[in-house]
Amino acid sequence: MRRRSLAGLTLALVAGTVGACSSDEDSGSSGGSSDGVDNVTVGVIPIVDVAPIYLGQAKGFFTARNIAVTMEAGQGGAAIVPGVVSNQFQFGFSNLTSLMIAQTKNVPVKAVAAGVASTGVRGRDFGALVVRADSPIRTAKDLAGKKISVNTLKNIGDTVTRESVRRAGGDPSRIEFVEMPFPAMPAALAGGQVDAAWAVEPQLTTIKAAGGREVASTFVDAAPNLTIAAYFTSQKLLADKPGLVKRFTEAIDESLAYADAHPDEVRQILTSYTKIDDGLRAKLVLPKWPTQINRASVQKIAELGTTDGIFTTAPDLDKLLP
Amino acid sequence: MTTARRGHPVPLALAGPAGLLLIVEALPRLGLVDARYLPPASRIATALAAEAATPAFWQAVADTLYAWATGLLIAVVAGVLAGLVIGSAPVLRALTASTVEFLRPIPSVALIPVAVLLYGTELGSTLLLVCYAAFWQVLVQVLYGVADVDPVAEETARSFRFSAWGRVRHVLWPTALPYVFTGIRLAASVALVLAVTAELVIGAPGLGREIATAQNSDAVPTMYALIVVTGALGVVINLLTRTGERRLLAWHQSVRGEVAV
Repeated sequence: MRRRSLAGLTLALVAGTVGACSSDEDSGSSGGSSDGVDNVTVGVIPIVDVAPIYLGQAKGFFTARNIAVTMEAGQGGAAIVPGVVSNQFQFGFSNLTSLMIAQTKNVPVKAVAAGVASTGVRGRDFGALVVRADSPIRTAKDLAGKKISVNTLKNIGDTVTRESVRRAGGDPSRIEFVEMPFPAMPAALAGGQVDAAWAVEPQLTTIKAAGGREVASTFVDAAPNLTIAAYFTSQKLLADKPGLVKRFTEAIDESLAYADAHPDEVRQILTSYTKIDDGLRAKLVLPKWPTQINRASVQKIAELGTTDGIFTTAPDLDKLLP
Repeated sequence: MTTARRGHPVPLALAGPAGLLLIVEALPRLGLVDARYLPPASRIATALAAEAATPAFWQAVADTLYAWATGLLIAVVAGVLAGLVIGSAPVLRALTASTVEFLRPIPSVALIPVAVLLYGTELGSTLLLVCYAAFWQVLVQVLYGVADVDPVAEETARSFRFSAWGRVRHVLWPTALPYVFTGIRLAASVALVLAVTAELVIGAPGLGREIATAQNSDAVPTMYALIVVTGALGVVINLLTRTGERRLLAWHQSVRGEVAV
């Protein structure tokens, strides 16, 4: 869901072409297999969602499988898909809508492990639609005709928001979406530039702490136990080094399971790669980290996105999901 | 010419920032802006102190300065060489004029997708953006400088049968040098802006990435603290280039402040 722009995807296409042209060039940074250890770079975004991989690194789940993992964390989620396709990163973290967009454009990517999932608990999820304390908006139905901020247009934010409005009996076609980075949302909402914000942690807790009200748990409305993001790799790496991909998937699965079972350690590891302050860190709602991608929920997002015109053709989940 | 020689320089130079600090402290305290989105200066200072105590912060400063210096150096060398060559050959100048005017206004940030494709989130991405933006600043100034050569001096050098190198060394270069320095000064600021922007948007290592992480983390005072640091770097860089310019051009009339007769 994060900061993926259409430009990034267009670029991924170009990257795909370039990658295809230079296929004789061997995978540079993943090649370091001296003493059997594979050096792997993973493109991530420095947010709560990717805490398991940092935790897994700290716990040695990767080194135990002869993988030396390095995280490249930047603001630009837009860099991740092209980065993986061009083998700058061997693996990446991305929301499934972006991966499905890539798939419908024949960008050679493949999900290899689950990334992050909704808690499935209404009012207690890590992403939601929120309004100001004094807003006249009471339910998602009232959102029709209103201005709502999402981090990326034509991505999971507007899909799930439309579904919440539709379910509440409103007209989702009348919503005016405004693209805005998550960190800008608390101020925009307080300043009245938008009527509602589709926010995730930690901004969600910031907004609620300032008196903001949740009007819809969008992930919960969209599908039960929605899988939102996944770790993925390129078809090329999958074909060239299936063993490495398999070991990476195992390490991620162990990390996800560990993170899910140890929320306190998750909150602690956040200090190593984010600047979330202690007060906020204690309060924010952690997502769920199941080891399985909930295929039914991804199918639902694919259908909703196809209806809304996010995908030009229906995504082929058999090609994308493991 | 400079305030430094007119007396009372320090109090005046400090009055500006002090005033700004007071305003930033007062605005949120008076409730004119929301302290959550613009914290008072004292809270920003506290956050800055906390950041300065971490090695990661100094690493980020070093990364940014390294990207800035390397990018600037490449741009200056390339810009000066290209400028001298193009500028001294009227044919080349005519050939490239429209190309330069076409490429120059393209914002460096528009090249981010290309940079990411080539270099991912590493130093190379930052360098590409920095070099692209800074190169034009230098090139255009050098072109002006070369065009400013006194035709009489040039003709004189020719009649004295100066070699090509001699004409560059004794006629072209001294005339162009002040322009080169103007180019370097402009490029130095632009390079810093682009270095931080690349880090901010792409996630290449440096202060920009730290700012992005602070934004993502809702660490508002830390974010402002890091922005203040980039501003301060800009001031230092500008001071250094100005001082360097004055020292190295001490012989030149633009610095001597005398009118040549």
